[in-house]
Amino acid sequence: MLLVNYFRWFFTKNGLVLGSILMGAVAFWCIVMIILPQMFMLDYSFRLNLAPHEYGTAKDVLTLENYEYLLYGSSANTDSFNFQDLGVFWRTIVAALFVTAFDLAICYPIAFYMAKVAQGGLSRLLVLSLIVPYWVNEILRAFAFRIIFGASGIINETGMDLGLWDQPIDFIRADVALYAGLSYAYILLMIFPIYNAIESLDTNQLEAARDLGSPWWRIHWRVIIPYAKPGITSGCTMVFMLTAGALAAPQILGGPSSLWFTQRVYELFNKAIHWPRGSAYAFVLLVACIVIVLLLMRLFKVRLGEIAR
Amino acid sequence: MTSRGVMKFFFGIYAVMFFGYLFGPLIIMSISAFNSSSYPRVTPWECLTGEWFVKLANDARLVEGLQNSFLIGICVVLVAVPLGLAGAIMLTQIGNRVRSFYYTVVICPILVPGVVLGISTLIFWRRLGNMVGAEDGSLLFNDIFLTVLGQATFISAYCMLVFIARLQRFDPVQEEAALDLGATNVQAFTKVLLPFLKPAMGSAAVLAFLASFENYNTTVFTSQATSTLTMVLASKVRYGIDPSISALAVIIIGLTLAGAIIYEVLRRREARIAAQRLADGLPGGKPAPKPGFGALPQMAGIMILLVVVAGVATTVVASGYNAEACKAEIMQEKLRIQEKFAEEQRKLREERMKQQQNEAPAAPAQPKAASPFGNVFDPNNLGSQSGTAKPEPEAPAKPASPFGNVFDPNNLKQQSGEQ
Repeated sequence: MLLVNYFRWFFTKNGLVLGSILMGAVAFWCIVMIILPQMFMLDYSFRLNLAPHEYGTAKDVLTLENYEYLLYGSSANTDSFNFQDLGVFWRTIVAALFVTAFDLAICYPIAFYMAKVAQGGLSRLLVLSLIVPYWVNEILRAFAFRIIFGASGIINETGMDLGLWDQPIDFIRADVALYAGLSYAYILLMIFPIYNAIESLDTNQLEAARDLGSPWWRIHWRVIIPYAKPGITSGCTMVFMLTAGALAAPQILGGPSSLWFTQRVYELFNKAIHWPRGSAYAFVLLVACIVIVLLLMRLFKVRLGEIAR
Repeated sequence: MTSRGVMKFFFGIYAVMFFGYLFGPLIIMSISAFNSSSYPRVTPWECLTGEWFVKLANDARLVEGLQNSFLIGICVVLVAVPLGLAGAIMLTQIGNRVRSFYYTVVICPILVPGVVLGISTLIFWRRLGNMVGAEDGSLLFNDIFLTVLGQATFISAYCMLVFIARLQRFDPVQEEAALDLGATNVQAFTKVLLPFLKPAMGSAAVLAFLASFENYNTTVFTSQATSTLTMVLASKVRYGIDPSISALAVIIIGLTLAGAIIYEVLRRREARIAAQRLADGLPGGKPAPKPGFGALPQMAGIMILLVVVAGVATTVVASGYNAEACKAEIMQEKLRIQEKFAEEQRKLREERMKQQQNEAPAAPAQPKAASPFGNVFDPNNLGSQSGTAKPEPEAPAKPASPFGNVFDPNNLKQQSGEQ
């Protein structure tokens, strides 16, 4: 009844033509582009790897096999768990958390400076200079780090010229290049939410705290950070999600012996051609990301509504 | 006050490091595009060259990828901007209870990993195609169609955010006035709301195109056979690096910089006109009285940029004449170093032979052999070793293939040990 009323109101307000276009477009986006594909992927992850002509036959049953594979590996596996894939998964999550923390540490001071210390023109220039690297293609950014950290890259050449070490250090194998590249890629997405949050803080509050004799670190700890918490959480959420879901940077900068979980998914789709298992892995990644983000929000006592700008 | 100074000092160091981290990689990459060394690098500078740009322009795969990316980008703009607009308008007209749920649904594609979006789009349309029994070449299996939809899923949300920001400043009374004055719903929409949203449409379109153009994670799954620019780039970077990729980066960085400067100039002009109107107290007040003079600094900035770009371009073109000479010189230099090294090696071996004839081999031979290891990691010198090793009378004691493992750096040690 309520729904009917709403529709009546909606179509009298917008008219039949405009109302149908609006309704149709939003319905197409929400249902056909967002919700249905996710549900199909979830459904597909419970299926066996069948040829198209076998769909709907007796063979086409729901199964947990793909999730079991992630946990226990193939039946030929002698270990009690599928340590290989679980290890990749664990490493991806931990590394993404590490990258997020690193980005937060290096971005907070700049965001604060831009929001409260720099004057108009300088602040504007800083914003522009942050945006420019962000619009350079993700792959080119990774490529730049490959040039820098390669065996005959500038760091190895300089280090050896200065006599700091006498053989090229394999930064790629040690994953230094990967972590540097990933941290680099999402700096902007950490800075802007924090910048927006701090900028809306009334400067009088800072002056009051200073007049009352608070040292600078306590001003940050007790005034600015609590106020900017939604911005900080929002930045951390985006950086974490994007890092955990990154594909290009690990492919280009990752060491030969270490995989990123998305690379494992990519392999399942393009090399092993096992799409249902790939879907299961992708779904696990999605759920893990959401759970971790919700945990972070619980930890920092921020609600979803505060994050969504 | 002194602690303040100390803090400023540390902040300065930190800011330098931060911006070094931000720009260093891009600068190094750009410089490496002009070095003739076939591995993109800066430090052993060989010759200034423009050949990598020529190579880039002649790369058929890249050009094809660029065309696909353009096509996809334009289609994404055509899909995502209307969807984002509809989504934003819907948000203003939806009941409070449903609003937060609706907002979560449309915002989540931004947060969901791109890989997941690509996979879900691919699977959904494949399964749908199989269900309706679509042919192999049909639209539902078309790479570009899938890619556009997959990318538009989250790019529409970006566009929606742009429209929401603009809509917050819209006064609905304007629309009501139009309706009261007898406009139809469609007229009120096209004559009042759309003109108000026009600037937002421009930014949303640019944003959508750029986001589509540089997308990799979603595209790599939805586009199984067709390569976009980013996919071509990724495969190039993964399977062998050469500086023509740096050359592409130079072009993209240049375009970005130019775009940023133009945007900033336009924004300043707009702000100045608005300020002027405010000062004149007129809603539609006349433009700034001396625009030519006021715009001078910006014009100067653009001119400087153009001059720099033109200067670099001319240098590169001009150096095209002597680049060959320079490269030949470098080649000769390398050859000279190789020969010198070969000579040293030969002397060393002769000395060692003499030594062997005189005394017990192993212990004293070891330290002498150590000296050639100093630059044993230079890839050239191993090659020259094999060259000099051939005429040697004493063949290494490996009967099967005497030069089979001559590239092994341990070789020399082994030899000296065995003898």
